[in-house]
Amino acid sequence: MIDAAEHRVVDCDWHYQDSFTDIVEYMEEPWKTKYEKSNWDAAGVKQNLSSFFPTSTGDRQAYGKIEREHSNYPDKAETPDRVREGMEFLDVDQSIQISHLALAMGGVQTDDERTQAFAKAHIEYMLEEVLDPDDGVYGLAPLPYSDIETSLEILDRVENEPAIKGACFITAGANPPLGNRKYDPLYKRCEEIGYPVVFHTGGSGLDDYVRAGYQEMLETHTLGFLESNMSQLVSVTCQGVPEKFPDLDIVFMESGVTYVPGLISRLEEEYLKRPEEAPLLEKRPSEYITDYYFGTQPLEVSASPDLLELCFDMLGTDRLLYASDYPHWDFDSPSTITDLPFISDEERKAILAGNAVEVFDL
Amino acid sequence: MSDEGLVEVKAAESFEEGDHELVDVRGVEVGVVRDEDEFYAFRNTCPHDGGPVCTGPVSRKLVGEFVGPGERVERSFSDEKIISCPWHGWSFDLETGENVADDGIVLPSYDVIVEDGVVYVDDGR
Repeated sequence: MIDAAEHRVVDCDWHYQDSFTDIVEYMEEPWKTKYEKSNWDAAGVKQNLSSFFPTSTGDRQAYGKIEREHSNYPDKAETPDRVREGMEFLDVDQSIQISHLALAMGGVQTDDERTQAFAKAHIEYMLEEVLDPDDGVYGLAPLPYSDIETSLEILDRVENEPAIKGACFITAGANPPLGNRKYDPLYKRCEEIGYPVVFHTGGSGLDDYVRAGYQEMLETHTLGFLESNMSQLVSVTCQGVPEKFPDLDIVFMESGVTYVPGLISRLEEEYLKRPEEAPLLEKRPSEYITDYYFGTQPLEVSASPDLLELCFDMLGTDRLLYASDYPHWDFDSPSTITDLPFISDEERKAILAGNAVEVFDL
Repeated sequence: MSDEGLVEVKAAESFEEGDHELVDVRGVEVGVVRDEDEFYAFRNTCPHDGGPVCTGPVSRKLVGEFVGPGERVERSFSDEKIISCPWHGWSFDLETGENVADDGIVLPSYDVIVEDGVVYVDDGR
């Protein structure tokens, strides 16, 4: 066993709880005025009837039960200092910041520019006020991928920014799914820049993520996060994204690890019966998927150790990235990795830092 | 069975295009298939679930080519022929017996000989 405090720890999924009131200062008109005048609360994260970004079932904090420090989402906007405090709390040396509000972008299906305006302003805000490689605080550029042109503009904007380490695609709400050729220009550009593509599940629209009528967060958060990542994992693989862009690093974030072997197994059964429907694949889908990287959070530590060990063996400890999801309600501390009984210390160090250093070029 | 280890199937001219005939080769059911005047023989047991693979259809393999980012994958039927198990669709290259999805899975094949208008399967002895 190792002590996280004595080793390098890279957190690949930290959610900067950005506020609309902070970001709007970096926004262009007419969206600046639209956002400002849309009745946000003082913290800039809650709004009457959610005019712009959709919300989802239930209260993340389990209706007042989760009270820990730094967990004040969504009642208070984040400040850059609190990222540093949280990193100290978790013994994290370097963190990859992903916008909290961007997680809802996938639920926006309107053909206007609210997500484009948000993504661009978020990046400017983060670069100006939050990110600092000297402090180990890095970020990803959230892409409003339904708008290819704007997403390419964003990549042009950030490619020489040392604090930006990749592009983030929110997997919830992508229509068509992210293996579609429509997104090829984004993958091509990321491959050119050397940016990993981080497919991050999302929480917006969870109430009716596939069908309406779920009642509790327990149901929608269990199913919706999985469905969002699973759908893109299948689409990206079957449509041959890793064959089209062989130097592109692909990362899937925030659905744990146990879903992947099950999905691989089902996909392989289908593929063996219908291989001509994935004509770009030169090998089995599993051989592509086990080349992807997976954020570990929320790691299923309560699962049977045998099952978890099998998952780690299938995915490979050289493909797992420690992710906290901090400060979200279901965050994982580094102990989820350091306390695992079935991996070696070298594997713990790789998951906690080594793999991320390579993927994100830290 | 002949002295040379050849198992007689039937007259070549009695094979219709795409026709198959099943024969016993040393206790193994083997399917002989005619496609474009060529004959192929495989063990008639699909490695997937034991289905009668040689009784399935022969077709040209549908392939795709990546022609550039953002472009639709160009689909076409290649010259490669495949035979598909009628139970679940597992498909094998007609020339090699290799599974289309995984060339590590190979349908055992047999040499076919046509002598004096008669089709034989070489039993490997």
